[in-house]
Amino acid sequence: MASLQDIRRRIRSVKNTQQVTKAMKMISAVKLRKSQDRLLAMRPYATKLQEVVADVVARFEPGAPIPESPLAQAFLAPREEQRIRVVVVASDKGLCGGFNANLLKLAEGFLQEKSDQVAHLDVVGKRVADWAKKTKRAVSREFVQVNLPDLLHVAQEIAESAVGQYEREEIDALYVIHNYFHSALSQGPRVVKVFPLKMGGEAHPSGISHLLEPSSDDVLASLLPRFVETELYRALVESAASEHAARMSSMDKASSNAQEMIDKLTLNMNKVRQAAITNQIIEIVSGAAS
Amino acid sequence: MDGHLLLEVVTPERKVFSAEVSELSFPTATRGYYGILPGHTPIMTPVGDGLITYVQQGQKHVLTVFGGFAEVGPDRVTILARESELPESLDATALEVTRQEALKRVKEAKDPHDLAQAQADLTAAELRLQALQGR
Repeated sequence: MASLQDIRRRIRSVKNTQQVTKAMKMISAVKLRKSQDRLLAMRPYATKLQEVVADVVARFEPGAPIPESPLAQAFLAPREEQRIRVVVVASDKGLCGGFNANLLKLAEGFLQEKSDQVAHLDVVGKRVADWAKKTKRAVSREFVQVNLPDLLHVAQEIAESAVGQYEREEIDALYVIHNYFHSALSQGPRVVKVFPLKMGGEAHPSGISHLLEPSSDDVLASLLPRFVETELYRALVESAASEHAARMSSMDKASSNAQEMIDKLTLNMNKVRQAAITNQIIEIVSGAAS
Repeated sequence: MDGHLLLEVVTPERKVFSAEVSELSFPTATRGYYGILPGHTPIMTPVGDGLITYVQQGQKHVLTVFGGFAEVGPDRVTILARESELPESLDATALEVTRQEALKRVKEAKDPHDLAQAQADLTAAELRLQALQGR
């Protein structure tokens, strides 16, 4: 059995670890709130944009002539997917449970399935960059150590270059693999196809038929980049919120594990101490008796 | 028509403005400024860079806007802006510094890309200063 000294030392070390995990949990809780606020702040924009896009697309009747521009075609008549661009989004830091591992597993499967189509791969987050290096994948753009306020710029940059590539027919589709933020307690990885869009023919809720100024082609051409940008930004913010939520819950688990361990060790320590005392008493008693 | 329009300006980061106004104008991407009065024909159009001017209780106010998309209806105008600010959130001294820097970069720019970037920054700073003065 371990000596009293050893057990005490052990308890002290576990306590230290617990303090660290508790602090990390608090920090994650704050960061989670910040990123969640951002997610809520962008929702009205994203919803409105989707409404507008749905409305514009709903005006083109099936069979009607489709405008010539590649962007208008992206909304209405998707090309066959021969080359695709994939953006993989995860975190810079670890210690957040299965957040990165689950996402990378999904990404690995997806990329393998489409291995002959993937023309471009962008990575966001140091963990993904490391994974890409390890699996020897060619990465065209790498974004690491991105702060929350800069996420919009990252989204704009990717969107701009991807839309340009689509116009030049260098890619036929854009996919994002990111963690989806369902609630603070549940998140999970998913693959989203950003464009070309699959549009249902649902009408605008207001039922108003707007004039498209200056022309339907121009409207579509200005809508798609905006739409792609917003979808990417949403993916990035959701990933950030999920990361902090995942870290918070895993640090919470770690803290309670540490507490459990401390309790067990304390019990053990008391037993050892009691045994030592009993031993001494027996020695004294037997010494006095003889 | 009771003579009121609901103007909403939303960016990806937040809702910048939402209130009843009696008239407004905004910059379009290709066709100059559009003036909107209540009861306007519904249109949708890309928005350019410039100032949104609106009239509220006889008072003229401005907002900056940088790119985006406008949806105009008879009683509401929704502007989905890439960026937009209220003049209250702008800081004149900081903007003056940005403007001077941009001006310097325009003069020293070596390739067309740098020049375009510097010019865009300069215009943006000037627009924001204009918004502060027009308040």
